Amino acid sequence: MSTILSAHRVTKSFPGDGGAPLVAIHDLSLEIEEGEFVCLLGASGCGKSTMLSMFAGFSQPTAGQVMLRGRPITRIEPRCGMVFQSYALFPWKTVRGNVAFGLKMQGVGRTERNARAQKFIDMVKLSGFEERYPAELSGGMQQRVTLARILAADPEVLLMDEPFAALDAMTRQIMQEELLAIHEASRKTTVFITHSIDEALILADRIVVMSARPGRIKAILPNPLPHPRHVSVQLSPEYAALKAQVWKLVESEILAHDETARPPKDAPRPTH
Amino acid sequence: MSEAVLPAAAPPRQGRAWRFRHVLLLINLGAVAAVLALWWAATRFGWVTPLFLPAPGDVWHAAQIAMRNGDLLLDVATSARRVFLGFGLAALFAVPLGIVMGVWLPAKAVMDPFVSILRPLPSITWIPLTILWLGIGEAQKIAIVFMGSWVYILLYTVESTRRIDPLLLRAARNLGASDLAVMREVILPGALPGIITGLKVTLAISWACVLSAEMIAAQNGLGALIWQAKDWGNLPLVLVGMLCISLTVLVADWAMLKLERLLLPWERSRRP
Repeated sequence: MSTILSAHRVTKSFPGDGGAPLVAIHDLSLEIEEGEFVCLLGASGCGKSTMLSMFAGFSQPTAGQVMLRGRPITRIEPRCGMVFQSYALFPWKTVRGNVAFGLKMQGVGRTERNARAQKFIDMVKLSGFEERYPAELSGGMQQRVTLARILAADPEVLLMDEPFAALDAMTRQIMQEELLAIHEASRKTTVFITHSIDEALILADRIVVMSARPGRIKAILPNPLPHPRHVSVQLSPEYAALKAQVWKLVESEILAHDETARPPKDAPRPTH
Repeated sequence: MSEAVLPAAAPPRQGRAWRFRHVLLLINLGAVAAVLALWWAATRFGWVTPLFLPAPGDVWHAAQIAMRNGDLLLDVATSARRVFLGFGLAALFAVPLGIVMGVWLPAKAVMDPFVSILRPLPSITWIPLTILWLGIGEAQKIAIVFMGSWVYILLYTVESTRRIDPLLLRAARNLGASDLAVMREVILPGALPGIITGLKVTLAISWACVLSAEMIAAQNGLGALIWQAKDWGNLPLVLVGMLCISLTVLVADWAMLKLERLLLPWERSRRP
């Protein structure tokens, strides 16, 4: 396997309120292998979203480099497709229009792109809802549209920023199963952010535990739970042991830091 | 599928809402009938003299006379044409300019001082200058409507362009959209609801402009009708003119609503 996405000694700081800059990420290095499913796990304010937005090219590191296939990422990178926590669907486009958007941008003709979009609409079980607008769908269905939209655009890497955090527990579990199935079928490199240990254990091949203020890597744990994986793996003793191990790492982090003073969750938004 | 589509109002509730709407409509009609009755009684029993307020029957009679010789319809058509041209030109000028100002700050910096100077000026203050430049023909009336409308359309357009969710711009870029595609696929449809709201608000203002222009210097149009009727002491005809203005603006609003539904299908779930 070869490295597809990497961060090399990345530091990211934001201008602070009182002069001193807020360091969101300090000297972080990470390599992600092709086809791998990596979870960045950490409490609020550990810089995991900041890291993801640099992989997408939404913001640039203050020092160090993020690279896609050995080339620095210096602008918004369509090869690293982002799934946003708040869906970011175009309200004026139907489900079909949203899913076909990436293909339209790639210059694929209408008939062809509608046919290809349909495949992904079916994959996320939204057949029959093609002509609905996002506002007419539930949260879980909207997140499925986002997933279908990014899969149809076929980026080389999937970046997912706590995509299921806003969903109820049952819908979330269904989405996790679907994502697992999609990943096992496509083996698309995925970087998934979460603050849920369970979510990381179910989904990831490798778990990157991050520590906060400034954001650093605390530990990288391979996840030996067997494939093809199913949510029922949560009942096994191996799962319980792993969860205890991860929890110990995370717990010391949470106890060490006060929840009140959080650095910005995301980079400042660029103007258009 | 576990999720239901959101706007699925249950039938009994829908029935109650339907009844409630009819009750409201009855209250509407009742209020109008009460005021009409009070008006009729006030003139019939001499509580007010006909010099200050003509009887409803007299107004109805004046309306019939004005309808019979065709003058009234001609005046409505004349005013409507002036509004249509002045408002249309203002929209053609201000909407594109507003979008440019919304996405490109230097353009906004150029225009802002002029907008600040022109915005507080009521359209009637333009009457001396426009008469000097354009005479007292149609062009002058249209210019008054234009001057009274374009700044509002511009302000609404700039605001709605600037308020587009930056997350949607990022999402579009991340899916490979070029500058032009971002404009066409995100900025234009995203700003459209706000622009249409601005046009609706401004349309009523345009009517106010044309009427003031017609009262000061015109031979025809609803404003001239009212002003001339006042000079002849024909108070019932003044009221007929005023009612015609209300009715015409109501029709124009209704047309804008239809246009809105046609142009903004994605907002259908937010409508009652």
